[in-house]
Amino acid sequence: MTEIHNPILDVQGLEKHFGGITAIGGLDMRVGEGITGLIGPNGAGKTTFFNCVTGALTPDAGRVEFADGDITGKRPSAVAQEGLVRTFQIPRELPEMTVRENLQLAPRGQSGERLTQAWLRGDEFATDEVRVREKATEMAEFLEIDHVLDAKAGTLSGGQRKLLELARVLLTEPDMILLDEPLAGVNPTLEQKILDRIHDLESQGYSFLFIEHDIDVIMETCERVVVMHQGQVLTSGEPADVKSDDRVIEAYLGEEV
Amino acid sequence: MALADFFISLLTFVTIYSLFGLGLNVKFGFTGLIDFGHVAYFMIGAYVTVFVAMPAGLSETYEGLTGLGLATAFAGVPGGDLLGWLVALVVGMAAAALVSLLVGIPTIRLREDYLAITALGIATILNAVFHNERWLFNGAFGIREVHEPLSGVFPIGTGSFQLNLLLFGLPSVAILGYAAYRTAKVVRPLGVRPALLGTGATLALAGSVVFVITTMTGLVVDLGVLALNVDNTIAFVLLVGSVVAGRAALTETDHIGALLALASALLFTLWYLGQPLVALVADGETADLLLNLFWLYDATAGSAGGLDYDRFFFLFTLAFLVGAYLWVERTVNSPYGRVLRAVREDESVPEALGKPTFRYKIQSLMFGSALAGAAGGLWAANIGFIDPTQFASTVTFFAYTAVIIGGTANNRGVVLGTAVFWVINSGTRFLDDFFPSEYAQQLAALRLILIGALLIVILYYRPEGMLGEQDYDINLGRGGASDD
Ligand SMILES: Nc1ncnc2c1ncn2[C@@H]1O[C@H](COP(=O)(O)OP(=O)(O)OP(=O)(O)O)[C@@H](O)[C@H]1O
Ligand SMILES: [Mg+2]
Repeated sequence: MTEIHNPILDVQGLEKHFGGITAIGGLDMRVGEGITGLIGPNGAGKTTFFNCVTGALTPDAGRVEFADGDITGKRPSAVAQEGLVRTFQIPRELPEMTVRENLQLAPRGQSGERLTQAWLRGDEFATDEVRVREKATEMAEFLEIDHVLDAKAGTLSGGQRKLLELARVLLTEPDMILLDEPLAGVNPTLEQKILDRIHDLESQGYSFLFIEHDIDVIMETCERVVVMHQGQVLTSGEPADVKSDDRVIEAYLGEEV
Repeated sequence: MALADFFISLLTFVTIYSLFGLGLNVKFGFTGLIDFGHVAYFMIGAYVTVFVAMPAGLSETYEGLTGLGLATAFAGVPGGDLLGWLVALVVGMAAAALVSLLVGIPTIRLREDYLAITALGIATILNAVFHNERWLFNGAFGIREVHEPLSGVFPIGTGSFQLNLLLFGLPSVAILGYAAYRTAKVVRPLGVRPALLGTGATLALAGSVVFVITTMTGLVVDLGVLALNVDNTIAFVLLVGSVVAGRAALTETDHIGALLALASALLFTLWYLGQPLVALVADGETADLLLNLFWLYDATAGSAGGLDYDRFFFLFTLAFLVGAYLWVERTVNSPYGRVLRAVREDESVPEALGKPTFRYKIQSLMFGSALAGAAGGLWAANIGFIDPTQFASTVTFFAYTAVIIGGTANNRGVVLGTAVFWVINSGTRFLDDFFPSEYAQQLAALRLILIGALLIVILYYRPEGMLGEQDYDINLGRGGASDD
């Protein structure tokens, strides 16, 4: 197990119970800069971990620190404003709004999103809006959903919804992104493109915590891997070390890998 | 009562309830908040506006809190009572917004159905308080000392009868002509060119106008050959009407909606103008025709006729409705409005993207409630008397019905739905004449059944309402041309 000395995300003693089920049981995790993989069997508590960290769920116990600030129990919007955003495993498109609107919603700190600005400073937010519009279009082109920009998001295919989910989060331009299986259901060429983009963004200073079941993707993409099992961290470290770890093979990967 | 008078009062109601509905649309249509207690803010707006404007000691029977008397506070300034009343209205709106803030803080986190029920409960409790606490606003006895802004000034008009007729009559006819033109556009699928139908209708109206003016001024006698007498005018109207109907009939189409619009427009015209025309032909009675055509002009108001208070008040409320409409449009056609709609679709998304949804929901609730409060203030001034029974929960549900019929999240749909609702509810009262009077109650119930049936049909075949959700367009200003 390798130690992270300058963690961006530092979670200690995290617990979350649902009735009798312990989804997270006293979990400690430190995530540093770069791309970190988060793997583990179905029901290991990965999504629940994301929910607790980003404030979608209130943890029963424990402490979450992000960029040296305590964000335990903060509302998701406050966490996102600190620069930590997540994608949803099951995409949540806003069905009655167009894809364009779904995307334009995302960028943070738009001046026209404040009521007084919207009422009184039309000119000011108009320039902002032009910029937001360009960014949204550029992102849609990159993720190859630009031809459906004016369609209602509710009409998208399953894979397109995943892309929309990813696009929205990228548009918020945060410091760290929690990706919950962003590649599930995405076609192979696009998958490679997204991974390239993630590397690009990493070199620009973004950090990622990346849930993914495809171990090969994890091996190629991540500098570090954390393995979760039954609500706890089983082990963490270099991808190659983790892959050959007996406990990981037993709990998750299986013999033949 | 001439039909025009009836329509003025009906339209005033529609306008006030549309304003109320716009407030509901902000909450429900654009933000997805189900507030079954919307009427509470209507009530608070009405009471607080009246209370702030009301001078003390107007009445012996009033035992509530002493009014603040803003209606007379600016007595020295011309139009001072209007100014005082406007301040009172703003206070009423603010009070409504403030109460909704207090209601919203504990309830708005609730799941939508719980929010609906809680809001309904709170509105009912507030109504009971207003009903039972006489020291507050006179309890069940209500307030009769309602200040009606500018009521002392009306009727207004010049000293000359003819000039008044022109001044108010021409805009009246122009508006009717424009309405005819718009109707014509609706029936475009029938192949009737809007210009043709519009011109036809306007010509018919103008013919009648010329006729009435000449009759009134005794010009008929002098003009000799050009004489536009009763028979000529009716023949003229019928001619235009038959040309229009004939063209429509000859054009092959299966567009039922347009046909219905055309039929109802013709029927309405027949009802609105035909009836007084018959009275004119039979008895030489011009009063109704005059009132219906020049609906802004009341010949019996003042010595030389003019714009009376009812007609003014309709225009006054209309100005508020237009203002509120633009205000709401501005709000929803902005990045702010985009967040509101995102909250409606799935609150967790804007929240995860860093938008504090709690604040957005509270603001939406307050904004919608303030608009309801403004509607309340206008309602009080229109009725001239308020008591808690006017603010029963049915008012909220009527507004929901109207919004759903017209089109949820569509500001024009709100106005349309409100008009449809109240035209069915009030317009069909004329049909009561055809039934024995002991069935009045059953007929009232029947009207609601009719509206209920319409609601079901709409929800089944067109759940998005008559107009459906509106389109949004954020004005990019000078900085950027649209790129699509
Ligand atoms: N809202 C909830 N209510 C009750 N139980 C829950 C809830 N959310 C998660 N759980 C339970 O917590 C456990 C962990 O679920 P979680 O979604 O975190 O797994 P996961 O690691 O993301 O799995 P997968 O790889 O399948 O996405 C599961 O047993 C699940 O049933
Ligand atoms: Mg999961």
